Amino acid sequence: MTGVLQRQLRDFAVAALLAVAIASAAFVVVRNGDVVDAQLELAQRSAHAVASGQEALPTTHVALVGPSQSSTRHPILRHRDIRQLGEAADRHLDKLFYDAALRIDREHKGAFVEMLHDGTGRAIAATTRDHGPMIVVAVTDVAKPAPYPLLVMIGVLGLGALLAAAGALVGRAAARAGTLTGIATLAIPALLWHAWIAATAIILLAAATTILQRAELTDQFSSGMRRHRVALGFLAPVAVAMFVLVAVPFVIGIVLGFYDHHQGTWTYVGLQNFRDILGGGTGGLDDGTNFWFVLGVTVLWTGVNVFFHVTIGVALALVLSRSWLRGKGVFRMLLILPWAIPNYITALIWKGMFQGEYGAVNSLLHAAHLDGVSWFTSWSTAFSANVITNTWLGFPFMMVVALGALETIPKELYEAASVDGASAWQRFRHITLPHLRPALGPAVALGSIWTFNMFNVIFLVSGGKPGDTTNILVTDAYRWAFERGDKYGMAAAYATLIFLILRLLTILGSRLAREKEPA
Amino acid sequence: MKALLLALCLAACGGPHGIVLWHAYNGDERTAIEVTAAAWNAAHPDQELTLVAVPYDAFADKLSSAIPRGNGPDLFIYPQDRIGDWADAGVLEPIEFWVDDARADRFTDNGLAAMAYHDSLYGLPMTVKSLALYYRTDLVATPPRTTDDLMALVPMMKAKNGFALAYANVDLYGHAPWLHGFGGKIMDDAGHLSIATPEAAAAMTFARDLVTSGAVPKDAEGPLIASLFNEGRAATVMSGPWFMADIAKDKDTGAYSVPWAVTTLPIISATGRPAAPFASAEGILMSARATDKDTAFAVMDFLSSDASAITRAKLAHQVPANPHAFDDPAIAKDAALVVFERQLEHVVTTPKAPGMRAVWTPYRTALGEVLAGRAEPGPRLLAVEREVKSYTEPK
Amino acid sequence: MNRAPRPAARLATYIALIVLVSIVLYPVMLVLKKAFEPGRAFALSASPLPHAVTLDHFRDLFGAKTGGGDFLFLRHLANSLVAALATTVVGVALSCTAAYALSRFRFPGRATGLQTFLVVQMFPATLLIMPLYVVLDKLHLLNSVLGLVLVYSTTAIPFCVWTLKGYFDTMPRELEEAARIDGASQWMIFRRIMLPLARPGIAVTALFSFMTAWNEFIMASTFMTDESKFTLPVLIQSSVGQFSADWGLFAAGAIVTSLPVMAAFYVLQRSIIGGLTAGAVKG
Repeated sequence: MTGVLQRQLRDFAVAALLAVAIASAAFVVVRNGDVVDAQLELAQRSAHAVASGQEALPTTHVALVGPSQSSTRHPILRHRDIRQLGEAADRHLDKLFYDAALRIDREHKGAFVEMLHDGTGRAIAATTRDHGPMIVVAVTDVAKPAPYPLLVMIGVLGLGALLAAAGALVGRAAARAGTLTGIATLAIPALLWHAWIAATAIILLAAATTILQRAELTDQFSSGMRRHRVALGFLAPVAVAMFVLVAVPFVIGIVLGFYDHHQGTWTYVGLQNFRDILGGGTGGLDDGTNFWFVLGVTVLWTGVNVFFHVTIGVALALVLSRSWLRGKGVFRMLLILPWAIPNYITALIWKGMFQGEYGAVNSLLHAAHLDGVSWFTSWSTAFSANVITNTWLGFPFMMVVALGALETIPKELYEAASVDGASAWQRFRHITLPHLRPALGPAVALGSIWTFNMFNVIFLVSGGKPGDTTNILVTDAYRWAFERGDKYGMAAAYATLIFLILRLLTILGSRLAREKEPA
Repeated sequence: MKALLLALCLAACGGPHGIVLWHAYNGDERTAIEVTAAAWNAAHPDQELTLVAVPYDAFADKLSSAIPRGNGPDLFIYPQDRIGDWADAGVLEPIEFWVDDARADRFTDNGLAAMAYHDSLYGLPMTVKSLALYYRTDLVATPPRTTDDLMALVPMMKAKNGFALAYANVDLYGHAPWLHGFGGKIMDDAGHLSIATPEAAAAMTFARDLVTSGAVPKDAEGPLIASLFNEGRAATVMSGPWFMADIAKDKDTGAYSVPWAVTTLPIISATGRPAAPFASAEGILMSARATDKDTAFAVMDFLSSDASAITRAKLAHQVPANPHAFDDPAIAKDAALVVFERQLEHVVTTPKAPGMRAVWTPYRTALGEVLAGRAEPGPRLLAVEREVKSYTEPK
Repeated sequence: MNRAPRPAARLATYIALIVLVSIVLYPVMLVLKKAFEPGRAFALSASPLPHAVTLDHFRDLFGAKTGGGDFLFLRHLANSLVAALATTVVGVALSCTAAYALSRFRFPGRATGLQTFLVVQMFPATLLIMPLYVVLDKLHLLNSVLGLVLVYSTTAIPFCVWTLKGYFDTMPRELEEAARIDGASQWMIFRRIMLPLARPGIAVTALFSFMTAWNEFIMASTFMTDESKFTLPVLIQSSVGQFSADWGLFAAGAIVTSLPVMAAFYVLQRSIIGGLTAGAVKG
């Protein structure tokens, strides 16, 4: 008996916690909305009262503001007469009245009412009068928000718990009914506050809990937690951290893609952002703001770089693995240097070297009696500059991986092959290559991902020049977020698309790798 | 209880007490603003002014994204060319409410006009920056008065493996003196684009000829220009007041180790008009989300006062926007400051209409291509005008 | 290849190698040169030798002060150190237990968990930079080192878990089984036996996390506005910004900042590669 009661209350507690959270959130939203509405209405009525010749309403300050007049000495300066009504004139409010009159004149709409943005919870309303140029402006005092209905919530919670417990004590079917009604009672306050969405959510939660209970999933889940509690304990810190730092921003990122951000306000636009991006924006296929163009550049960028990385890396590895070579350690140490240097520093060094008249690269070209190149004024040269930089810092990785793989090849194989009369090329194809492939495979995969996402080189070397055409997907996403008018919604949608592309590529890649692997 | 919590939250979340000011100054200018801020703090210990240095490249972007969310500074110092943009976006606070005639008398009409937009005043001017002609007195006997005088220096400088003139030629800001001297412009008075004109094409051709004749290095910018001037490989330099900080100094005595002087920009021989650079007024602007606007204005007032202007002129060679600052004997004797003041008679105020922001990058790309000989000025300018129109016109 | 080729071919190979190494080293030599050559322009000549030597850039780097008299470079160094150390501690501390669990325990969702950690590692931090900016803004953690540490941990943790798990995988189970027979709890086994044995692996993971946080540039640049809160990478990048490039300062800063990480890198190369490719192979 007590086991049943215990389990019932356990399920109720978990669901009730969620329900209380939903109800409280609903309360805050509704309450704030009510306060705002009351303040706005108060301000508007007070302004209209004075405009039609009556008294200002209590807890509001009203003033009459004259038209804008130019100063005689400095025509650029404009001033207005501000006459506060009532005995206690608060001079600090003068600026508010002035700004309101300014806005009336600018918008030509005759009146407006809104909340002040300074976080004080005051409303301001302004209106013109039928006769005369004066503008009436009313400002309310700070409003007190309604307190949290603690007693109501406790009462409802207690009632719900009673219902659930009673049901458990009666019988199985009654227990289910108890859960349903118990949790549903928490929807009552939400209904009272007219928070329909919250009320529906809580009722759905009640139904879901009941169904889970009926399928005995709650019991299974609970015993599963207990069985693996050691593992859970070990995993908990990382799970929490990953949830807060990765999962939440990730979900936020996806959600924001459905909104448009403009100067601090977010408006829901559905799939519009995605349509704009996939539609290629306003430019043609060769324009830097066209998604497909940037995708193409990114794919080309990745392919070219990985090709050079592997070719140079493997070639160097082959040379460095000659048994007769002296000073291997020194050569190897020097050749790894580009990889050891932080890559943003590398990018900046190469940016300096590619500088126009006196950059080192052009100086060398001059020394060889060739013309200097203006690296960042045409697409092909800017792209090449990026590729040269990234190749410089990327080949050591492939070289080291290849070296490691070459070390594992038993020398007897080569000896046997040359005894059999195989040429150098045949030895390479049939002995070296098969041993290289398993090591290079994952290395190429990793390298491709790194190159695909190589933000620093593109951002710092060419900076997307000329005219944003050398951007790759990740730098373009950054620019949407932080440089093209803070279009966060657009940037979020862009990032989601990039994520999907990357996921697709990695799935394809691993499938290819699995097929190629011999049994 | 809830009201108390709300009030507490407001007090805590309202940010630090005092005024926060963002600036993008380096070197001497930074020292100057720090000295004037310290003067305020000494006089007003209960209204602390905190300076925050933000790198110039990211300054405007960080401001645009921080202020609408209530996170930015109370005040900031920036040139006037974004005032239109920011005023329309609701980032700036109109300040004419606090400025009466007496205060306005403190500034030049031009300086004040630079801070105005659409019937409101948005800032108080601190300094006006333009370009002038620096020259090495050991290489150039008399200051060049016309562009022909400049070209006359070419053979001598070529023999030294140097240039007659070094300036930031790929940048519209550096190119502007020629543009205006040939009669071209970017915008007309109504704010309409006027980029692709024969005069503008002539100015670009002139700039290209300077490069092909070896008078000017092909692709020069700040540090390179300074190096060339200091090494004697550039006889003249077209740059602003900030250039004085880059001229080589003796480390121990602080005196200049390079003999130089500055004069107003030359007259374009082809047209007979003076080369006229952009004049960009740097002012102190107020954020629309500043918490204590009255105190913020008091700080603005202090930092743009005559005394502060004199301090900044002495420490950083910032040309004051306050005409009475020149009454100070030290300032009146500063030859460089006097020259920059005189150059203001032949300047074009940088347009602050919102479309202006979109002009710089396309124009720069076009200049790069024309100077490299890869495009013709006429058609290229047409392309620029089309591109800027596509950015600024609503879709 | 065992048969040594003719001396001419050998000589040619050595020459080719030396030429290649020179090409590879050239940019590094330029930076070294610039750090000691006066002037702010990057290079007026292509020669890798400075025409005059001065310590001015280093003096400017270490001597730069704010108006309040604090040394800027030391502030930046402190910011970087704090951020990197905190990230390492958080990352490794949180990851040890999880890596052990993933290595030793069987529980529902283990395979998915492993897969998730691998996938998360592969995605660029720059994708999350925008939602993280919004989140940090709401939490008022922009322009603060704490915010930066939180963000760096998002990249540190998956890597730490993955590498440490691989390391635990290589350790024999006999010791644990013996301890279990003796009646020790799982937690005791982990704390008293596995952790001490795993010290080399933890050290490598910690050092690599530190390096990643130390070298991070774009997030620090985006989230910090106040110059005194900058980390070293942001300082170095802003010294060659678009409008006021001081290449001498850059070169000096680059040398001072990269030497420690380069040293660490050389020490760790084998472990890094082993960790990276092993993880990818085992899948």
